[in-house]
Amino acid sequence: MTLYQGTRLRVDLTSREVARERTQPNGIGARSWNSATLLEELAPGVEPLSPDNILCIGVGPLTGSELIASCRFIASAKSPLTGFLGDSGARGFFAPELRWSGHDQLVFTGASDRWVYLFIDDDKVEIRDASHLAGLDITETTLQLHDDLGDPDLQVAAIGPAGENLVRYAIISCNLARAAGRTGMGAVMGSKRLKAIVVRGSKPVRPADPERFKRACADFRANIENHREFESRRKYGTTRIMDSLAKFGVLPAFHYRTALFDELDKVKAEALRRDHVVKAKSCYNCNVYCSRYNLTRYSEGEGPEYEAQAGFTVKCGSSDMELGVAASNAVNRLGLDCISTAEIIAWLMECRAEGIIADSDVDGIDLSWGSREALLELPEKIARREGIGDLLAGGSKRAAQAFGSSAEALTAEVKGLELFSADPRGIKGYGLMNAVNSRGGDHYRGEPTIELTGDEALAIKRVGDPNAAHRLKEEGKGALVNYAEHLGILSDSVTLCKNISCCMDAFDFDLAGEAYSALLGQEISAQQLWDVCTEVGQIERDFNIREGLTPQDDTLPLRFLDKPIPDGPAKGTTIDINRLVRDYYKEKGWEA
Amino acid sequence: MSHFLLLRFRRIYTVSVGCHATGEDRCTSVAIRMDVDYRPTGMINCDVQLCVGCRMCEVACSVAHFGAVSPALSRIRVAKLEGIGIDLAIACVGCAEKPCLQCAVDALSVGPSGQIVLEAEVCIGCEDCVIRCPIGAVGFYEGEPLFCDLCDGAPSCVDVCPTGALVNAAELAPSLAPFMELSGPSARRRADYTSTVSQPVRDSWLAGWRLGE
Repeated sequence: MTLYQGTRLRVDLTSREVARERTQPNGIGARSWNSATLLEELAPGVEPLSPDNILCIGVGPLTGSELIASCRFIASAKSPLTGFLGDSGARGFFAPELRWSGHDQLVFTGASDRWVYLFIDDDKVEIRDASHLAGLDITETTLQLHDDLGDPDLQVAAIGPAGENLVRYAIISCNLARAAGRTGMGAVMGSKRLKAIVVRGSKPVRPADPERFKRACADFRANIENHREFESRRKYGTTRIMDSLAKFGVLPAFHYRTALFDELDKVKAEALRRDHVVKAKSCYNCNVYCSRYNLTRYSEGEGPEYEAQAGFTVKCGSSDMELGVAASNAVNRLGLDCISTAEIIAWLMECRAEGIIADSDVDGIDLSWGSREALLELPEKIARREGIGDLLAGGSKRAAQAFGSSAEALTAEVKGLELFSADPRGIKGYGLMNAVNSRGGDHYRGEPTIELTGDEALAIKRVGDPNAAHRLKEEGKGALVNYAEHLGILSDSVTLCKNISCCMDAFDFDLAGEAYSALLGQEISAQQLWDVCTEVGQIERDFNIREGLTPQDDTLPLRFLDKPIPDGPAKGTTIDINRLVRDYYKEKGWEA
Repeated sequence: MSHFLLLRFRRIYTVSVGCHATGEDRCTSVAIRMDVDYRPTGMINCDVQLCVGCRMCEVACSVAHFGAVSPALSRIRVAKLEGIGIDLAIACVGCAEKPCLQCAVDALSVGPSGQIVLEAEVCIGCEDCVIRCPIGAVGFYEGEPLFCDLCDGAPSCVDVCPTGALVNAAELAPSLAPFMELSGPSARRRADYTSTVSQPVRDSWLAGWRLGE
């Protein structure tokens, strides 16, 4: 059945041929097409950084519409970090502009023999020389392109030195600091020698039924504005979560060695806001405007969000907020995933504390907890693959192999993707999400945030089980993660900000049905959308199984399985990951 | 009243906005003689400290006039100086000079609230008014210039603005004399205008920081 068939631009970077075609007819946008394209077109076992890999950039019919925060693009390819299906979304303003240019999906095949960028101006599409941009960071690249083309309103998605140098967790970034961060999509772009995509669009997004669409948008807006977290998200964005995680006892302090961090006051949301934030920033059409612009003595930029804030402070045993903010600015410019980078630095610090690695193993860089040298110099070295950076550019799983089994035992990754800044043992829905989702160690596939709220009524409404509302219970988490994954796929296809749709639970399948129906002028039900999301989840699972995934891969790092949380409010908590995964498989109808 | 309305310059003012993060003057560099009494306000006014650059105003304007979303349909546009964190929504400020009125076919006149009124059947779509606006506040879509019409007294951009950065100050007619020499495409002129009028806010941010220590 045809749901929405968009316009696909196929760009072969080897032959430099550009063709316009239609997307699959049975999708609903971005991720729903990207994942299907990769399963259909990619041969099994393709080397992710070879010209045979395919990079998809997708938006959807609702992107760039009046719907609040309909602002994301999804970049998908076989991941050079995990070897499984990789995809990642970025907010900001690039995605709406791509939609206004009349394109719903870009598919890049082959590889150029020199650096190029793609220029899209509505129907005009050109592959242009980018040799003068090689080596520039993401900020420099973006501003240079604005200068070159004489239009500072052009939207640019670019890679930095990390992407050029094929760092396996390199990002694609737009608006200088809005990153498609996870699973190394920037490295795939770099392997194709595609430095940037530049877009200007002017084609209107016009709903078929304007009054009905307006109502759906107003309902969504009301859900957001009436939410109990609305004001605090406006004020602090995702950095507000640090307090809660500390209270739950799941802070990853000193690389998960303790849940206690004495100097939390120095690095939490209030300190960041007081000492570094000069104004609020927003993505496209968002009334939450939860991002912030910072100044430090080292640099300035947008961010950090919780992951960079906690990753470059608490996780690395540092109480120096300014240093953390500077590291966040630096990885954004260099084009590195802040989550993977912070996790790798923190892991090295723990290895050094355990006597497994010496400073001399890492070019003499001081790896003591909170080391300024490590936080400032390692990202540079990784992005440029200088010295030890070359090894670390492979990600913690590959790097650990070089340091031996005791170093491997301390890593925190699933399927090769580094974990977020929280302890999965004390938030079991998130623990399960990290174990089973298609990307690997990742919390943002869909957010099982209901377990953080204690809101039993909401848990019953969404998954029919009040247990799902309690983070320390293992009951009901299979259903919760399944629901969160569905909502994640829906959000990645509508291209909504998941902080709003998932974390705030402000969006659901009924509302999506209204929005799609009104925009497209054909009835699309909540159940149809749910079924599409089920299908997309299955496509991603099939892709990963084809690439060698087994049920044994659906687990957490051993360090979380063989001992309880050592201290703090959740002291003694363990996680029975096998039970959780079994529950989830049952929900999915999969064999163990 | 926002502090932005209180800004006044009466001096030769050279602006060089760079990205201190890159250590280079890559963003823009404009030298402007600010030797007239200049107040950046009138019609729809945006407070640069409060503007978060969400572009909800563009969406609302575009929907209010065309029932569809595209920045090309909007009479208000947000200039984003991304390298220095500045955002500013710009619509017609109802300036004292009104260079747009030098219309070859006399298609433009001034309405009761200071807004520019277009006689569509007279307009030949030459884009002269678009080019003459020093701050790039005149849009152009499908052969016709787009001027802020204040939505018949209830501007949709002011209504939707989530931060209160936008206000309707139609009674004021500021001078844009210092900006008459700005050139380039509309987006370039909007950015150059923004880099000048945002300088005091930038300065206030930087006052607390001694960079490069």
